Amino acid sequence: MPEMTYLEAISDALREEMRADERVFVMGEDVGAFGGAFKVTDGFAEEFGEARVMDTPLAEAAIVGTAVGAAVVGMRPVCEMQFADFVACGFDQLVNVAGKTHYRFGLAVPIVVRLPSGGGFSGGPFHSQNPEAWFMHAPGLKVVAPSTAEDAKGLLTAAIRDPNPVVFLEHKHLYRRVKGDVPAGAYETPMTARVARPGSDLTVIAYGAMVHAALEATEELGASVEVLDLRSLVPLDTEAILTSVAKTSKIVIVDEANETCAAGAQVAALIAERAFEQLDGPIRRVASPDVPIPFSPPLEAAVLPSVDRIRDACRDLLDY
Amino acid sequence: MEALSRADRVELLRAMLLMRAIEARALALYKQGKVPGSFYDGFGQEAVSVGAAFAMGPRDRLCPLHRDLGAHLVRGVEPARILAQYLGRASGVTGGRDGNVHFGDPASGVMGMVSMLPDMMCVATGMAMAFKLRGEQRVALTWFGDGATSRGDFHEAMNWAGVQRLPVVFVLENNQFAYSTPLAKQFAVDPVERARVYGFPGMTVDGNDAEAVFEAVRVARERALAGGGPTLVEAVTMRMHGHAAHDDMRYVPPELLAEWARRDPIEQQERRVDELGVDVAALRAEVDDEVAAAAEEALAAPMPDPAHAVHGVFATGEPEPLGDGRAPWSGFADEAAARAEAAPA
Amino acid sequence: MPQLGVSIVEGTVIRWLVAVGAAVEADQPLCEVDTDKIVTDIPSPAAGTLAEILVNEGETVEVGTVLARIGSGSAELRAGPVAGEDDSAGGAAEIVSPAPPARSASPYYSPVVSRLASEHGVDLASVIGTGRGGRIRKQDVLAAAQANGGDAPLHTESPYVPEPEPAGQLSRMRRAIGAHMKRSLDTAATCTTWMECDMARVEASRRGAKASSLLGVTPLPIVARAAIDALAEHPALNATLEGERYTRHDAVHLGVAVSLGEAGLIVPVIRDAHTLTVEELGVAIRELARRARKQQLTPDEVRGGTFTVTNPGQFGSLMATPVINQPQVAILDLEAVVKRTIVIEDGDGNDVIEIRPQTILGLSWDHRALDGAQAAQFLGTLRRRLEAWNG
Repeated sequence: MPEMTYLEAISDALREEMRADERVFVMGEDVGAFGGAFKVTDGFAEEFGEARVMDTPLAEAAIVGTAVGAAVVGMRPVCEMQFADFVACGFDQLVNVAGKTHYRFGLAVPIVVRLPSGGGFSGGPFHSQNPEAWFMHAPGLKVVAPSTAEDAKGLLTAAIRDPNPVVFLEHKHLYRRVKGDVPAGAYETPMTARVARPGSDLTVIAYGAMVHAALEATEELGASVEVLDLRSLVPLDTEAILTSVAKTSKIVIVDEANETCAAGAQVAALIAERAFEQLDGPIRRVASPDVPIPFSPPLEAAVLPSVDRIRDACRDLLDY
Repeated sequence: MEALSRADRVELLRAMLLMRAIEARALALYKQGKVPGSFYDGFGQEAVSVGAAFAMGPRDRLCPLHRDLGAHLVRGVEPARILAQYLGRASGVTGGRDGNVHFGDPASGVMGMVSMLPDMMCVATGMAMAFKLRGEQRVALTWFGDGATSRGDFHEAMNWAGVQRLPVVFVLENNQFAYSTPLAKQFAVDPVERARVYGFPGMTVDGNDAEAVFEAVRVARERALAGGGPTLVEAVTMRMHGHAAHDDMRYVPPELLAEWARRDPIEQQERRVDELGVDVAALRAEVDDEVAAAAEEALAAPMPDPAHAVHGVFATGEPEPLGDGRAPWSGFADEAAARAEAAPA
Repeated sequence: MPQLGVSIVEGTVIRWLVAVGAAVEADQPLCEVDTDKIVTDIPSPAAGTLAEILVNEGETVEVGTVLARIGSGSAELRAGPVAGEDDSAGGAAEIVSPAPPARSASPYYSPVVSRLASEHGVDLASVIGTGRGGRIRKQDVLAAAQANGGDAPLHTESPYVPEPEPAGQLSRMRRAIGAHMKRSLDTAATCTTWMECDMARVEASRRGAKASSLLGVTPLPIVARAAIDALAEHPALNATLEGERYTRHDAVHLGVAVSLGEAGLIVPVIRDAHTLTVEELGVAIRELARRARKQQLTPDEVRGGTFTVTNPGQFGSLMATPVINQPQVAILDLEAVVKRTIVIEDGDGNDVIEIRPQTILGLSWDHRALDGAQAAQFLGTLRRRLEAWNG
């Protein structure tokens, strides 16, 4: 089985699907001739032609809007926002057109919107966001966030094949830092959670880059800590969450995103409502405070959830 | 217009009469408290939607707006379903999911609108983009108002369509007012002039002359099919009713309304068709009967089942693209015949 | 090695533009590096002499690695953020998640602790808490439940909590039953032995029962009583096995399986069944079944059994392979009583064919605690008693 970086896995998924299905095409800023700001589509224009690896004008609303138009006449566009932060410019088209069309007309909108998200490298307030919660809150949009190379490929494939609009959060910090065995050929990863490490004393629920932080933070705690990688935020794997809660009764939820109304807030509410009698302690959350992600390294490090902060929260709850 | 046969010209009138009759009936029902929400119509603007839609082929795709009911009628959506849609019934085109003219029957090749304007300009541009990617002889068309040209999506769509030279027709329905905002407060430069700046032609046409609108769009479509890219067709007309039924239009000078009333698009077409020897009164009666029957059917239809309110958010299975709609222009029959003739035996 | 891009983690030195020992000015290009995205040169951080090259041409190193030293080593050529090397903000403002709320002095039981204590019959007042401030934790309750020995529950969840289930899923009770059954089959070395039994005398006794008595409904109370007597002769079967711990019991706390229709099944326990007559057993069975179907059983009434009887025969089945009710070692299955032609010896020792009511007694038993001979002997004793039943 080949070993690939998270980024190579994403490229691989795109390449496989574009080879297999001529309806699939990529569109975004600088994705064609330049190969993409992060080189995800490096070499694609040569293989698939410029038309199918489309360099668009700098126009996020139109990127999403034209993708919708192409999708309802039979194409499968995969659009890219250069940074997740810029999806704000295409918010209206994504939430009001893409998300609400099937409910109103029974008309499917099979688009994927890839969002290079996350911080940790002095990207500052406009290049470091994790905006998944905005879209969890919009009916009609699916939202996925892989943490491993294998899942990145499988989930992107699943997203492309899904008949609904799917927001795909690829964490920039993981692009080259995470490597793993990735099956060759095409495969789909289901939009469910994955137990990254089984345990019995406490569960850390996380997704994206925070899964790796959670694994590191809980490696040598002297306790059996389960780490649940959500992988999919909409649909949310309620059963996996509740099963883990029943097992350990102590929960720490980690969001790299700003704390208020992050994905973890929804998970916490779900647990409080459906698994109250399983809890042996309060649900703890570790998240970035509600501030724009700052630029200077010490400021950014103080804001983003660190391995130490996660470890402290776990230790505290284990002692409770 | 040589492109239009006698039957075509009657059909143009019939569609406009149908639009007006349906909207009149729906307005009455609204005032009787049977139509929930708000009520919008295109009174006095019928030629813009009917004329433009008439020029669109069965495989073309349309994105109409709230004063473009005529487009749905040309494409074949039944009046009873439209009235049920207004009434919020289960048999309405959206089954109660969205209201008034916020509908589009996918089977007719029409994608329904959203309220954020002009979002659909980007969507139509995308449809055209797909046609071009696949090398298909198809065109996308969308309508939008003078007010909508002020928002970013207008610029993004025009620019994109111009840069990629896409087969899309942008119909600017200039009815002088965006709610209470007159043109003078909306833009400093006529949008039709701005088309040139995006790299393609803009033209103005009498929006109350259905045949002129038809011809303008027909030509724009031909240009698009020939690889000439987009066209902006400004159809100048007047919004004869308020922005919505709840708007008394006090900001519109009465003289303006009086002047436009003399140029009613239906009366214009009636005169033409009458000269051809068609019994206009009979046509009117026929349309009125049709709408009366449709209203009866719609009023008898049940409301949607509340249990279904939470269903249908996500699609499952293989997605179905928009289907081909009705395209009554005789020119398309000729086109189809010519294609069949040219095809190898 | 500088970080030339947010996702870059390493770079390669392509060539050095200055030789060791040469003088360099500030900002003068020293070397060329290649990352995934770009080839660029690195300017010197200071004026001085290139004292040492640490990474050679063609070598690939991680971002943050020192590439060379300038001057007397006081200026290092390195760019990009270096983790851990920190100046003023070493103790950067800590963002600490809020600590859990302080608790009141009176004993506080978390939801799971309360629930588990109730289900396992644990008296929390007697449990030592190992949590912060002496709080009783989940594991403390579970440990106390274990320590109580034979009071292990039959189900680990209350079967009565109503919960709306989406269509297409098993109900919570079904899942609890399923989990118990699966656990039993995974734990015990389950075997089943069958024996035919002539029920003529039992049937006669039932027919002769008083009209007001409950005995006439099914033969179950008679079989139950006979089974209790048989257990007295074969005490190895009135036992529980938990892990390695095998315990024989003097008292017979008899579990009786009650079908709840689609909702599943439940096994209420008649405590000290050995002290009850057949009639009393009949009353107890009927009463427990009635309360079971109305969801009025208490947790105490569904645990602590030492032997179980199940009677699906009322629905017409002939044989079955019942699942042992953990942590017991055996379960008796009473199936339908049907008329069969059998061969018996008449008074003269001749074989004759007669029509008699028969049933097949089934016993599932745990081979970890018992063997086939014991099972067969128990059934043999039971059969003898039933075939000689005298009211």
